[in-house]
Amino acid sequence: MWARAFAGIVPGFLLSAGLVGLFTWALPGPWQGTIVAGVIAFFIVWMAVMAASFQFANGKRAWAWLSALAAISLGALWLLQWLRWIG
Amino acid sequence: MKISSNTLRTFTTLHTWVGLVAGFALFVAFYAGAITIFHHDLQAWQSPHGIHATSQSLDDAQRLLDETLARHPEARKHVGMVFPGDEYPITATYWSDANGKWHYATTDRPEGLDEMPGGALSELVNALHYSLGIPVAGTYLMGIVSLLYGLALISGVVIHLPKLVEDLFALRPGRNLKRMWQDAHNVIGVLSLPMHIMFAVTGAMLCLVMIAMLALNPLIYRNQLMTAVGPAMDTAPVIAPAGREQAIGSLAMWRERSIAIAREQGIEAFEPAYLKLANAGDANATVEITGESSGALGPLGSIAMNANTGEKIATQLPGGRDANHATLSSAYALHFGEYGNAWVQWLYFVLGLGGAFLFYSGNLLWIEARRKRRQAEQGRAQLWMARATVGVCIGVCVAISVAFIATQLLQLPALSGIALGFGVNVACFTAWALCALWAALRPPIRAAHELLWAASITTALIPFAHGIVTGAWWWTSAAAGHWALFAIDAGAIAMAVGFAWLARVTARRMRSGEANSVWALAPVAVTARVEAPQP
Repeated sequence: MWARAFAGIVPGFLLSAGLVGLFTWALPGPWQGTIVAGVIAFFIVWMAVMAASFQFANGKRAWAWLSALAAISLGALWLLQWLRWIG
Repeated sequence: MKISSNTLRTFTTLHTWVGLVAGFALFVAFYAGAITIFHHDLQAWQSPHGIHATSQSLDDAQRLLDETLARHPEARKHVGMVFPGDEYPITATYWSDANGKWHYATTDRPEGLDEMPGGALSELVNALHYSLGIPVAGTYLMGIVSLLYGLALISGVVIHLPKLVEDLFALRPGRNLKRMWQDAHNVIGVLSLPMHIMFAVTGAMLCLVMIAMLALNPLIYRNQLMTAVGPAMDTAPVIAPAGREQAIGSLAMWRERSIAIAREQGIEAFEPAYLKLANAGDANATVEITGESSGALGPLGSIAMNANTGEKIATQLPGGRDANHATLSSAYALHFGEYGNAWVQWLYFVLGLGGAFLFYSGNLLWIEARRKRRQAEQGRAQLWMARATVGVCIGVCVAISVAFIATQLLQLPALSGIALGFGVNVACFTAWALCALWAALRPPIRAAHELLWAASITTALIPFAHGIVTGAWWWTSAAAGHWALFAIDAGAIAMAVGFAWLARVTARRMRSGEANSVWALAPVAVTARVEAPQP
């Protein structure tokens, strides 16, 4: 239980940031226009990710999956930002 | 809906533990929050002038602004001010000095004060709501509580999902008391779920926004968030002073211009609430007027203009504002119930009390689920849970009512030696501590019964303290048309009746309830009877 809880808190935090970042930066218009909506959405997404992390069979899987997904989402966000395809 | 038993078990554990950790803080937040809905009315209620308090005029406010700018050169750079009116009967100016310290001035105290005048009670209840009254760390604590609250909502819905629809309107009283409490917990939880989700999200946002922004800045905003926030949230871009002197316009002109500019944008009723004035005395002085427009979910909008000429610079008004302003304005309005009319506030009040019941009943269900049905002796954890629930939850109801009474009594000339804010805080937290101590020492059911009577009596005394000290008895308030004052006094009487009813129900449970329970009156006697048949 605790391992899955912390998976939701730590890599879950990074994954939520990545998802919110991808969505708000991919919207048309400058990213500055979605600051408030992004911060509010972040809390919703993080709560959902924390709850969902308890659906993994055990803590090890939760950490592995959430870390991998966090790395993919943040990696994709940073790559797209660096390529200036979104922004 | 079918959900695997494994999921149900995990989410039941999750719901139990986040509920236990966050439940007490959430009870306090909801009870104090329900009262904080009437924040502005409370400010009028705690005024020593009673029904004779009159709103200040725009001329009073103009004198205060002129005097503030003349006396305090720091205020010329940047000063804020509230327009006198329904929301704020007494006007005030506020500015920060070179060290970032805030100062406040009123027409009575133009030389300046270190804290916002005249809000001891409403500030205390508000502080209990967002920080449990704990300075600095309390706000972050409540932010974490909000996140746990979100998890409790998700897990609660998942557990209840298989029976959500068929059990929605089931309230089954009868011999199985746990069934009835469970039904009540579920029906209130489900029917007020949209409001609870909104509070969990906006509560987390309000408490943790700074930390979240610091953490998200390098992750998704390429370290540019802090420089982007100012320009994104200002109504108009910051304009540098021109270095030429020019006399500023008047409050009356700004008020008239802002109403006219709002009307040009199709807003019929714009009521200025407060302003921000920058670079007063300079040719490039700007003023930003924030006010309410009726009929919008996010009613607060703002208009920036040249403070000398009244020329429009930019607006952020309902119907014509960017996503940041629209979202923030709506989030604030949703959290504080500041949209619609008075019915919305009363709805929030009722839903707030319902939320408090949700957390209280959650604790009762935790105890009930762990009850040993065949023996009088119950576990220590259940016993202390019962004591803590009674002491903290009923205790805070007593403590807030004591703070109401203290606010009035400390305004008596005989007690004027005690600083109001200090005295009200001491009265509140002492009463709360005594209630908790009482609950720790007495059998839980007796403590619950006695503290409910204490809550009923202290709450019933609120309108009397108000009437005796200020002369504003509820019938004189009603006759004079001060419905806000009347509503608080009448509300206190209604709450006192409610507490008395709960006390009577508790007394009935004490007489005739299940004997094998932490709520039984005398476990010692029952234990003796059980042990008697031994050979």
